[in-house]
Parts: sequence; C-alpha cells; structure tokens
Amino acid sequence: MSNIIEVENISKSFEGLKAVSNVSFYVEEGKITGMIGPNGAGKSTTFNMICGYYPPTSGLIKYKGNDITGKRAYEFADMGIARTFQIMKPLGNLSVLDNVASSAFFGRHKAKNMRQAREIAAEILEFTGLISKRNVLAREMGTPDQKRLEMARALATKPDMLFLDEVMAGLNPTETEGAIDLIRRINSGGVTIFLIEHIMRAVVSLCEKVIVLHHGEKIAEGTPNQVMNDSYVMEVYLGDGGAN
Amino acid sequence: MKKKILYILLFALLAVMLILPEYIAKMPYILNVFILAFYMTTMSMAWNLLGGMTGQNSIGHACFMGIGAYTSAICIVNFGLNPWVSLPIAIIVTALITAVVFSQCFILRGPYFTLVTIAFAEAVRQIILNWDFAGKAIGIGLPYVRGNSWLMFSFRDRTIYYYVAFAMMIDVYLVMKYIDNSKLGFALKTIREDEDVAAAIGIRPLKYKVIAVVISASVSAIAGFFYACYYRYIDPNIMLQSSSVEIVLPAIIGGSAFVEGPLVGGILMVSLSEYLRNTFGGILPGINLILYAIVLIVVIRFRPTGILGFFDRRGRE
Repeated sequence: MSNIIEVENISKSFEGLKAVSNVSFYVEEGKITGMIGPNGAGKSTTFNMICGYYPPTSGLIKYKGNDITGKRAYEFADMGIARTFQIMKPLGNLSVLDNVASSAFFGRHKAKNMRQAREIAAEILEFTGLISKRNVLAREMGTPDQKRLEMARALATKPDMLFLDEVMAGLNPTETEGAIDLIRRINSGGVTIFLIEHIMRAVVSLCEKVIVLHHGEKIAEGTPNQVMNDSYVMEVYLGDGGAN
Repeated sequence: MKKKILYILLFALLAVMLILPEYIAKMPYILNVFILAFYMTTMSMAWNLLGGMTGQNSIGHACFMGIGAYTSAICIVNFGLNPWVSLPIAIIVTALITAVVFSQCFILRGPYFTLVTIAFAEAVRQIILNWDFAGKAIGIGLPYVRGNSWLMFSFRDRTIYYYVAFAMMIDVYLVMKYIDNSKLGFALKTIREDEDVAAAIGIRPLKYKVIAVVISASVSAIAGFFYACYYRYIDPNIMLQSSSVEIVLPAIIGGSAFVEGPLVGGILMVSLSEYLRNTFGGILPGINLILYAIVLIVVIRFRPTGILGFFDRRGRE
C-alpha cells in the first residue's frame, strides 16, 4: 500500500507562538490513522494545515505524491479530500437532505440538477442513518445527529481521503458505538480515514496507526497498543494515574 | 389537494392582475401605485438574491439601479441611442462596475461588507452630482414621444407600463425561483450558512459571491432602465440611502429566506404606504411613515423570518 498523505516537517507559528513544529508523518492508503494528544497539543492546527485552512509556516504536504501545500481550502474537494469540523457547522436553515445535496452538487459527484443531487443525498443519508430526519432543519437536530451530518456532508463529496475532527466528542457510549461502526463502514468502502479523537476506546478499536502530539511536536507513532505503552506518552498524556 | 387550491388561487390572482388595468385605466394614481409596487418588488427580489440567499446584506442597491438608470439615460439622451440598445449597455456597464468593485470588497464579511455598499452608493451619487455630462444635480430628462412607441419605449397609455412592469416582476421572480433550485442557489445558500463549510465541499466563496452581486446588480439595472423610461426623468436623488433601505424592507417583511418574500412584502408595503399617505397625509403629514415604521417593528419583533415565516413548514421541499 502506498502513502496517500505525506507530511514533511510542517510547522506553524502564530505571531511567535509555535503551535506545531517539525511534524512529519504519513497516512497509508485505505487505512484508518488516528491522531491523539492533550488539549492544545496542536492537533487541530495540524489538521487545518493539511486541509488548506491555514497555510503552514514551513514544510511540505503531499497528497498522492503531489505537493498540495499552497492549495486553498476550496480546491480540496475536487482532489478527493473531505473534512468535518470539530465544532459542528450544520447549514442550519436548510433541511438535512439539502445540507447533503449541496455537497452532491459540488465535490466530485457534480450533480447536474436538483433531482440528481437529492437522490445522491438520500443515498448518503441512508448510509449514515439519517434518512428518517431528511426533512428536519439541520439546526434543530441534537449533537449526535449533527456529528453524523458532518460526516454525511463530507461523504457526499465522494472523497478518497476523509479527515474527521473529533466526530465522537460529546456522544454517549451507545452513540459512540454507532459512530465507530459508521467509520468502519466508510473505511471498508475504500475511503482512507485520518481522525483526531479524544475517546481512547474509539481510537484503539479503529486505528491501525496512531500519532501522538504534545506541545506541537510528534512524540510517538505506532499501533495503539505500542503508543499507549510508550513511557513518555503515559507520562504526558495518560499521566495522573492513567485515566481513560 | 392543498397545493391544487393554491395553484387555482394563484392563477385567479394572475388573471385579476392582468385584467385589472381595464378598470383602473381612468385612475392614474392607482395605476401608478401598482407600477411602483411592481418596480419595488423587482428591486427587492434583486436585493434578496444577495441579501437573503447569499447572506451579504447590501444597503446600496439604489445605486445599482441608479447606475442602470443613468447609463440608459445617457445612452438615450447624450448619445441618441435607441432604448433597446441602451438597455443591454446599461446591464453590461452595471455588471462590470459591480464585478470590479465587489470582487475586491468581498474579503470583508458581515457588517463591514454592508458598510462598503453604503460607501459605494454614496461615492457613485457624489460622482454623478458633480459630473456635467450626467446633468449634475439637475438630472436628465428623457424625450417624450407622441402616442405609444415600443421602439422608443415611451407610452402615453400608462396601462402598457403596468403590463411591462408586471412582466418584469414575474420574469425576475421566475429567474430567482430557478436559481433557488439550481447548483448556483445551493452554493449561495451554503455560503450564507457557513463559508468554511462551503470551502470544505468545494465551493469557492469569492467566485459565487461575485456571481451573486453581478446578477443582483444586473437585475437592478433592468429595473433602473424601466424607472428612467417610466418617469422620463432621473436625478441623483434616486440613489439616496433612504431608497436603498426602502428596497430592503419588502424582502425583510415578506421573509428574506423565501424567493416569494419580496413579492408578498413588496405588494403589501407599497400599497400600505401609499394608502396611508393618501388617507392620512393631509391630516397629519408624515403619519404614513410613522405607521410604516410601526408595521416594520411589529414584524421584526414578532416574526423575524417575515410574514412568510408564519407559513413555513419544517424543511419545506
């Protein structure tokens, strides 16, 4: 398997504050890779750099072998990269179906007309288990459904590579189980997944490889078990009696 | 079943509107109110594409209309062109000016964008006020033609203006309705809700915002052409700030989230305003404006989504 994403020595400074420094890693095609780290470790910053929302101060990001470092956020969908947002951003005043239909018009489906876009959207909603809420306004749904909607909207762009930013935060154990199942099904459909997550149970059961960030630096990389048994990781991340 | 009744009602309304001039042809005032209502509604629909659908609130739409009106008038009077040649020139000039200016201004979001539209409108008004060629503060009068002339777009029979304005309003409505259900409409609505999401699914916000403002300004230019040809006289006051605000009101009151919002709001507010002025204007000058303001406050306080918000079904299809 080849590497779909290669990150080489990326750094990001915000006016002197170094949020991320010299982080390198790669994501293997077809697999689920996770990124963990304490709050403020630079996970979301790294994530936003890869997805084109902040340009990195230095470093190189490659997708399928091509340099995408300077690309703008709106160019990513056409390349087959989709993302979700940590703080859910539903299109509040549109119905759930139309939220997803909008992605079907753009992204890589490029629906020709309304009917086609809504057909694609309905299919995706079926897949993500939101079909029964298709006519609800997006802002009127609860957190679990909005998290699902984030994923549905990203999926409707027909990506090869999906970035998930804490899609399980705020879910109860049953809902987390449902989300894990959904992520597995997305992955088995051939979509490579890179996710940030705080819920270790999800990370352990989903990821084949985990990257640990701390103070903007990569401190460990490996299978979930390797990482969790790493003494430095235990100290900085799982410290204080190894909660979780 | 409910839909069928609605269609029958709409059809009946359309028929009434079409035969109405037969009965009010002898009442130039009433006829004028109708024409004004159609014109305002058209302008408000143009505004609604940018304000309601794209979420970029402009308080400078009277200026887009003014550029259209002035370009037409200058072409007709100063260059002696036919109105039908002037119309496309007016649309192109307005579209070009807005595309150039606003492609630079859309990095500003929210209220800052609104401020730019105000500044833009005022700047254009000042230029016209000080420009000899455009008649300065005196304005431009269009030549009158004897009888009715489609070629010169000048009619003694005012009912023809009624039909033209009505057709303009209906056509603009149909265009807006089409956009609402198209790829473009989805891009605009996604941008309105969240620009980051728009970018994440492959929509380039700047590009679509410029498209929206250009379409909106072009429709305003058409309305401006109609205004110039109907009143046969324009001056820089048509671009006043207050006119821009008047254009926004029908959309807000009718419901800016709906394509039909400006239609409902426009017809209602213009007739209400004219009725109030007619009835109370003699007793207490200005009372119509006060009542107008009260209606506005009541609607915004109790139904911010506009009158059509009352009929909104969840996730309307």
